[in-house]
Amino acid sequence: MITHISFWALAVVAVLAGAAVFYVNSMARASYALAVSFIAVGVQVLLLQQNYVGVVTILMMVMEMAVMAVYMVMFMGMNPALMPMSMVHGKRHALAAAVGSFVLLAAGAVLIPWPARRDAPPADLTKALGEELMGPKMLVMAVVGAVMAATIVAGVVLAAHRTRYDRFGDDLRHRPAKDPQPGGVGR
Amino acid sequence: MGLSDALAKYAVDQAHVLLVELPGHWLTRVAAEQHIRERGWLPVSTPANADVLAVCGTSGPEMTAVVARLWDQMPGPRARVEIDAPHLAAAFDRAEAELLDVGGQQDDSRSRAAVPDGEPHRDEHREVHHGGHHRGGHGGDGKGGDTDQVGRAQHAGMDHHEQGGQGGNDDHGGMDHSGMGHGGHGAREDQDGMERHEHDRQGGMSHGAMGHGGMGHGAMGHGGMGHGGMDHGAMGHGGMDMAPAGIPLAQGGEDRDGLEMDVLHLRMGPVLPHWPAGLVLRSSLQGDLIVDAEVTLVDARLPCDQGDVSYPDVHHRAARRCDNAAGLLALAGWDDAASRARRLRDRLLTDRDARKAAEGLARLHRRIKRAWLLRWSLRGVGLLTEADLARLGLPGHLRGDTCDRLLCMIERATADIAGPDGGSSGASDPVSIVKVCDLVRGLDIATARLVVASLDLDPLPAASEVAHA
Amino acid sequence: MPDTVTTVPAGWALAAAAILGLLATFAAVLDGVFTARAAGAGPSGLTRPFGELARLMRQRRRTTVAADTLLWRIGSSGLLFMALMIVTVVPLGEWTLFDLDVGVIWFNAMDVLAWAFVWLTGWGANSVHSLVGGYRFLAHGLAYELPLMFALVAPAVAASSLNVGTVASAQADLWFVVWMPVAFLVYCTGVVAIAVWGPFTPALGSDIAGGVTAELSGADRLVFQGGRYALLAAGAAFAVPMFLGGGAGPVLPGWAWVLVKTVALLAVFVWLRRRLPAFRPDLFMEVGWLVLLPAVLVQDLLVAVVAAWRA
Repeated sequence: MITHISFWALAVVAVLAGAAVFYVNSMARASYALAVSFIAVGVQVLLLQQNYVGVVTILMMVMEMAVMAVYMVMFMGMNPALMPMSMVHGKRHALAAAVGSFVLLAAGAVLIPWPARRDAPPADLTKALGEELMGPKMLVMAVVGAVMAATIVAGVVLAAHRTRYDRFGDDLRHRPAKDPQPGGVGR
Repeated sequence: MGLSDALAKYAVDQAHVLLVELPGHWLTRVAAEQHIRERGWLPVSTPANADVLAVCGTSGPEMTAVVARLWDQMPGPRARVEIDAPHLAAAFDRAEAELLDVGGQQDDSRSRAAVPDGEPHRDEHREVHHGGHHRGGHGGDGKGGDTDQVGRAQHAGMDHHEQGGQGGNDDHGGMDHSGMGHGGHGAREDQDGMERHEHDRQGGMSHGAMGHGGMGHGAMGHGGMGHGGMDHGAMGHGGMDMAPAGIPLAQGGEDRDGLEMDVLHLRMGPVLPHWPAGLVLRSSLQGDLIVDAEVTLVDARLPCDQGDVSYPDVHHRAARRCDNAAGLLALAGWDDAASRARRLRDRLLTDRDARKAAEGLARLHRRIKRAWLLRWSLRGVGLLTEADLARLGLPGHLRGDTCDRLLCMIERATADIAGPDGGSSGASDPVSIVKVCDLVRGLDIATARLVVASLDLDPLPAASEVAHA
Repeated sequence: MPDTVTTVPAGWALAAAAILGLLATFAAVLDGVFTARAAGAGPSGLTRPFGELARLMRQRRRTTVAADTLLWRIGSSGLLFMALMIVTVVPLGEWTLFDLDVGVIWFNAMDVLAWAFVWLTGWGANSVHSLVGGYRFLAHGLAYELPLMFALVAPAVAASSLNVGTVASAQADLWFVVWMPVAFLVYCTGVVAIAVWGPFTPALGSDIAGGVTAELSGADRLVFQGGRYALLAAGAAFAVPMFLGGGAGPVLPGWAWVLVKTVALLAVFVWLRRRLPAFRPDLFMEVGWLVLLPAVLVQDLLVAVVAAWRA
């Protein structure tokens, strides 16, 4: 009973906090409203006994929103950050897209004939879910993870406008390195 | 009332004190520090955390405004004292009684506005006391501008605030707003028009000194930020206050990586812990990086106020070195060594046992030399070579990095008490404060503070030349 | 030490909060004593935290111009909330409030909240110095967070479980601190960092007039500072089941050992504050990525190899 009530209460919190993202007029508030919404969803997932997925949702989303708020404030220039500003752009298209996708998903949820449970749920729901989702593709996913990490590193290296020749001179012998901001290891 | 009185008594037993040192009154400040420590009180670095505002010395008009502002920033219960060396205890007793006077404090709190006043820009003396965090604060969001000409500039801005986004035209030089149209007229056409607008840059002018003409008229100065990707056209800023609480917008400038970044004007000093008394550094910040700086002395135009005699004898010289070392160690975050240096300073001032003092100095010197974490943290900070010293006309004892200079302070103190003629600090020329701005440009706030503290400055005279970077 | 932990009724949460409060008070008293001893004059410092409590309760709350008061207040009270959430999964001997099967990840989810709360405290006040402090904390965060996460992986891999009670009972033979010292040290670094303590105080530095705390007064300052002590205590308490064998120990019952170990580690944290200079964020960033992260990854690899070989 309590579980049901808290589940629905959290659902309301999640939706309201999600709506607040568009209603508030500051970037920090919008980011953290979104974080609250995600945390409510994470706790809902916890209530569904998907503990790992639930806690990881909270972990990832808090971190992500913290970073997002910081970057928005940094890169938008600091003015608009504290300057009251509207969080909605392109209202008409956005509204159409939002209503459209809501109707589509809701229709799917309501109209699809979901299968009934055949036997008892497995002991470890998270593991079962993971195997069902990933199953034979686990190796692929593991490899893709490493490739993505390598891509990020390579991307940053290629994008950085300073190279080792800037740091160490043309013969790479100049020590200490010429850095605008020296680090603590003394490379 | 029994409980609240007991609570008050207990609270006041460890009141926190914000010490304001006026130029020429460092000995008063040191005596006050000693006294409040004996009382079990604590010195603090921000008015938000202070119960007592203690002004060491008599302030001139500029400093009076600063002190008034600090007083206004204290949360209360609060007490304010002006202290002079011989009457320390009596002054602090008075402060204690004032803090305990519940009725008086309640009256005080009733007489104050519940919300801080939001019109900081009216007054020309709106110094960022306390290193710039202030109620009038434009704050940290970089949107602030701390400008002397603000009042005028804002009006000028208002005058050429025109519908159609022309407001972005800014003739105050150096400010490149590829502003976006907003405010009541935030339409796409405006924005495009403004983005193509070439701004009249007056090269070489310091942003620091500029009035932010553009601020009042609703051009958001975040140029270069790729508005293209964002659909500002439909972003209704309509009806929103362009300068909430009277805070103007910041302007952009190129940072050291060649990116456009907001410039924030921050005034460090004259009231800042471990900072030369009376020194004001007006800096232009990008992030927390000082891109430009200008040094002034507070109340510089006044005739020289002698205050207490800075160095009655060599022990005072040595104590000053210890005081500087304590400040530097505190800024480096090493609280234990800072307390030790402070105790050494107090001992030098009270008992004149040269041998014992020399032992203490030697111990501190050894301890700093062995502290590899401290050396790691100070290594290379504000490195000055022989050539730099010659170029800037700085005395020889400042050679090396901040860690070398820290050790040198202790060595100079040792030399001071070693003999009547061995005093090294007397021999060298005083460091001209003009040099401070050359030294801090390009550093972030933390390293700039370390470098300034490492200069081992003698007490600044109240009258001195004013420098422009 | 029993292999299973008993979940106690939710009402005991008050007792857990009280224990956390006592531990935080202990840390504050200890810090007061150390500070007074170093100053060499004045009272002993034993009563300093209580006087500070009285002082801050009596002080007025302050606001600044155009502050985002809601987020500011949330930020300053957030650290205390984090600490309370962390102790829910720490077993006290055989009892726990919340026997979560992914307790280690729970700790992790709570510790990243520091990013949000400390930054918000710095940002909300709308003041230069507190914002600079907030960004300094984030610069530290970029350096300590990943090593901290990977440090928590080591005990979990060795115990093949993310449940805190199971990790504690997996150390019956040998405490994890003995054969994963790097992970332990990095974990301790992380705890000190989320409490904005010791070498990680540049965010509250006196060079920026108190940084994040520059504009806090009265009750707001009280919960922020109290939250720092509570976080330090909660971090020390969480280290006990993760690295220090949980309730294992002779003579005394399990819960007593947990408390003894927590107090000992907490005392070390408090003592370190005065002994170490601050890590400047720009320097520590490189240390985090080039020293701590590789070191802790190697540690994880070794632990994984040992765990696989044992299985």
